[in-house]
Amino acid sequence: MGFFTPWFLAAGLAVGLPVWLHLLRKHKTTPLPFSSLMFFEKRTQSSIKHRRLRYLLLFAARALLVLLLVLAFAQPYVRQTVLASKRSGEVTVLAIDNSLSMRAGNRLSQAKTAAKSVIGGLRVGQRAQVLAFGSRVQVMSEVTDDHSSLNAAVDSIEPGDTRTSYAELSRSLRAIAQSLKLPLAVELYSDMQQTGWPANFNDLRLNATVQLNPHPIEAKETSNFTVENVVAPRRVYDAKKARVLATVAGFGNKKSTRSVSLVLNGRVLETKQVDVPENGRATVEFLSLDVPYGRNKGEVRIDTADSLPADDTFNFSVERSDPRHALFVQESAGSRGLVFFKAALEAAGQSAFEIDPATVDQVANVSPSKYAFVVLSDLGAVPPAFENALREYVRTGGSVWIALGHLSVGRTRVPVTGDAIQEARYAGREGERFQTVAWLDTSHPSILKDDRWEGVKFYQTIHVVPGSARVAARLSDQTPLLLDQQLGEGHVLVFASPFDNVANDFPIHASFVPFIEQTARYLGRLDAGPASVLVGGFAELRDSKEKGAAVDVLDPKGERALSLEEATKAQNIQFTMAGFYDIRRPNGRNELVAVNADRHESELVPVPPDSITLWQNTAQSAAAGVNSSADEQKPVSLWWYVMLAVLLLAVAESLLGNQHLSVDKEAAI
Amino acid sequence: MLQRFLDPATLASISSLDLVAKTVVDGFVAGLHRSPDFGFSQEFAEYRAYSEGDDLRHVDWNVFARTDRCFLKRYKGETNSQLLLLLDTSASMGFGSASVTKLDYARFVAASLCYMANTQRDAAGLIVFDEDVKNYVAPSTRQGQLFRLLHAIEKAEPGTHTDFTKPFIHFQNFLHRRGIVVVMSDFYEDPAVIVKTVEPLRYHGNEVILFHLLDPQEIKPKFRDPVLLYDLEETTKSLEVSPEYATNEYRRKMDSHIEALASKVRGAGMDYFLMDTGRPLDEGLREYLQVRKGRL
Repeated sequence: MGFFTPWFLAAGLAVGLPVWLHLLRKHKTTPLPFSSLMFFEKRTQSSIKHRRLRYLLLFAARALLVLLLVLAFAQPYVRQTVLASKRSGEVTVLAIDNSLSMRAGNRLSQAKTAAKSVIGGLRVGQRAQVLAFGSRVQVMSEVTDDHSSLNAAVDSIEPGDTRTSYAELSRSLRAIAQSLKLPLAVELYSDMQQTGWPANFNDLRLNATVQLNPHPIEAKETSNFTVENVVAPRRVYDAKKARVLATVAGFGNKKSTRSVSLVLNGRVLETKQVDVPENGRATVEFLSLDVPYGRNKGEVRIDTADSLPADDTFNFSVERSDPRHALFVQESAGSRGLVFFKAALEAAGQSAFEIDPATVDQVANVSPSKYAFVVLSDLGAVPPAFENALREYVRTGGSVWIALGHLSVGRTRVPVTGDAIQEARYAGREGERFQTVAWLDTSHPSILKDDRWEGVKFYQTIHVVPGSARVAARLSDQTPLLLDQQLGEGHVLVFASPFDNVANDFPIHASFVPFIEQTARYLGRLDAGPASVLVGGFAELRDSKEKGAAVDVLDPKGERALSLEEATKAQNIQFTMAGFYDIRRPNGRNELVAVNADRHESELVPVPPDSITLWQNTAQSAAAGVNSSADEQKPVSLWWYVMLAVLLLAVAESLLGNQHLSVDKEAAI
Repeated sequence: MLQRFLDPATLASISSLDLVAKTVVDGFVAGLHRSPDFGFSQEFAEYRAYSEGDDLRHVDWNVFARTDRCFLKRYKGETNSQLLLLLDTSASMGFGSASVTKLDYARFVAASLCYMANTQRDAAGLIVFDEDVKNYVAPSTRQGQLFRLLHAIEKAEPGTHTDFTKPFIHFQNFLHRRGIVVVMSDFYEDPAVIVKTVEPLRYHGNEVILFHLLDPQEIKPKFRDPVLLYDLEETTKSLEVSPEYATNEYRRKMDSHIEALASKVRGAGMDYFLMDTGRPLDEGLREYLQVRKGRL
């Protein structure tokens, strides 16, 4: 205990006043003479004693009153332990897990009921807040003592498809404790799923003022089956060539047989039986995918009767379209480059492109705009009209791929881009004088999947001055091999060597096929994204040139996921629920995105109790760490209590004094 | 208006006792409208026929001359009466809640009575006593008697405690002639003992009057706080007294004491008069003389 203004204690000497008034002055009373005491008796002393007791009580009350007044001015305070002192003004936080696993059985409703019982037990004026958490934390109510709004907030929590993240909850609790500057009593309602535990335990640490009270909801391991993954093509050009591979997983299960169905647009295409081993996985392959043209909703479904049906279906999106045409312009018909190029594209599997070969003579009046991309394979001269058409084509978003060979030696500039050709470099086969690839930009879409170009020999290359183009590959003599230049909205890709096996031996290397296939997809703007994404993933809605244009997004329920403002301004969208999102962009690039819940949620193994205790202890250890300093920082003033005592004592003193003085009134009559 | 000057506190400021007595008596007489019935002189009462053995000095010769028959004149008393004042000067008489003590008041009364008797040519005497006889001035009508009396009264100071028995035996030796005996005291004694002691004075044919002098604080004491009181006659004796007791029980006891004393004294054929020292001096005298007149 201490005093904020201890110098006021000197006023404690004022207690001498009642001491003098009641005790010292009384002792100095001199006996009075009286003519005779024959009519007085000794028994009168009893009443004196009785009165003296009251007199002493009055003295005690007055002395205490003076002391308490002095104490009040000295402003006493006490130092309490951090937890004890910080518990005042405590805010109860009701954190309810609404991740996918809480859909199992009636876990979420159990959690809500338990939370409501806590709300019902809150004292008058005790404030609380409701949080719902999965992969991120949603604040369902403000900090309030209104029970009805808290109950409404609990009721409004809906089952989600996200993955549990206790680390995210801890981070939010730390932020809330810091912003409120009040102690938190966190009532956690969750199934305590092991998979929600972070890899780094430090992410779970809590502030010293946070008191965690976990309430596990059906925290026991139950068997569960799920379609863990589906590999399906994003686009199908030939139904016979498409196949779907599904992985079925069992958690905590015994060996059993499950039927797996391939469903397209709600229609079951095929059903197969699969034996799922104990706590294992099994794969099912569907060899055909008969999809109609357009964007289709595909599902792989298993028939289980487990407690968590939400993970029995895996969504994927598939688009059926015809192959797009690409113009391959060569100097003369039947060049080797065409053979190798076509063979490489066909070898890639899905024939997304159909090559239309043409010679230089034939392209004078050809409009390139109907092609996905145009390839200029080692041309000597390009008709000016065609070159102009190509430039315009590129500016409006088209793509041109130029391969430079021996016919380009006579040119000083690269067609379409106009980049200067510095020189032609030759190497003879004799003495193994050749160039190899010394550096690759592995982030370039053409090289992304396969960067093993080490054994490729280049005998003849054309040295192009890069200018503003991005160099994606260089030879050992630093000659740029692959240049990517953006013109307007389109791209021009320059390969400083032809596609034949004369100037290089690239076509006979394995890396040639992925190079051709990836570049063709890149230039033809066929993104090779996955057929499905996870809940919590993002999708880009617009690029920098599409500002202000509205993008419509329909969520799995068929409702607009974006407000009007977001529809015109949002750069991307986060998928918060499992199902199909229909994204409709203004440039016609519509997309059907299949979203699936994270399959980590399917494993319903709870966290060991020891780990939960350790989590709780992070707050206590933090409290112990700051205890000593907090003692000094947080003294609790007792001023109000002392003043209350002064008030009560003043009332008591008035009553006693009044009683005491009433005798004098009688005597005066 | 004159009453104001008879206030005991005012009289106390007059240093000369004869002036006090003169002030009291003259003022008092002025208030009586010159009534012929005042005083202590012996007066004619009746005639009766002479019978053998009667003293010839009482024969009214004028009546004999006119009627040739002897008649005797009968008087109510002696020609010149005798007044004897018994003044108690015990320590308790020194008590006074105001500026005037009971003894002061008694001295004023005694001086006034002496002055009155002197005016009537009556013999006046004084005995001052407490537990013993302290002073004695024999009754006389000689020149200068008043000053001797006043001097003796002046010298009277509070002494020790009262003892009626001892001095009253001596008093009987001093009383040779019938007269009026006035006893002035606060009578802190059992009424029965007082009457028993004073009663023998009557046997000689004396008129005995008891002036009971009490301070207002003794009759109705008022204390604001509990007080420690000690006895003036026995200083070692002290008691703590609460205001409640003084207000209730003490007053009851004192009233019963006064009542018992008055009834016993009157029952013994004596006069009793309570003198409150807080009241004006002439009030007491007038009241006494009214009583006395009624009896005559």
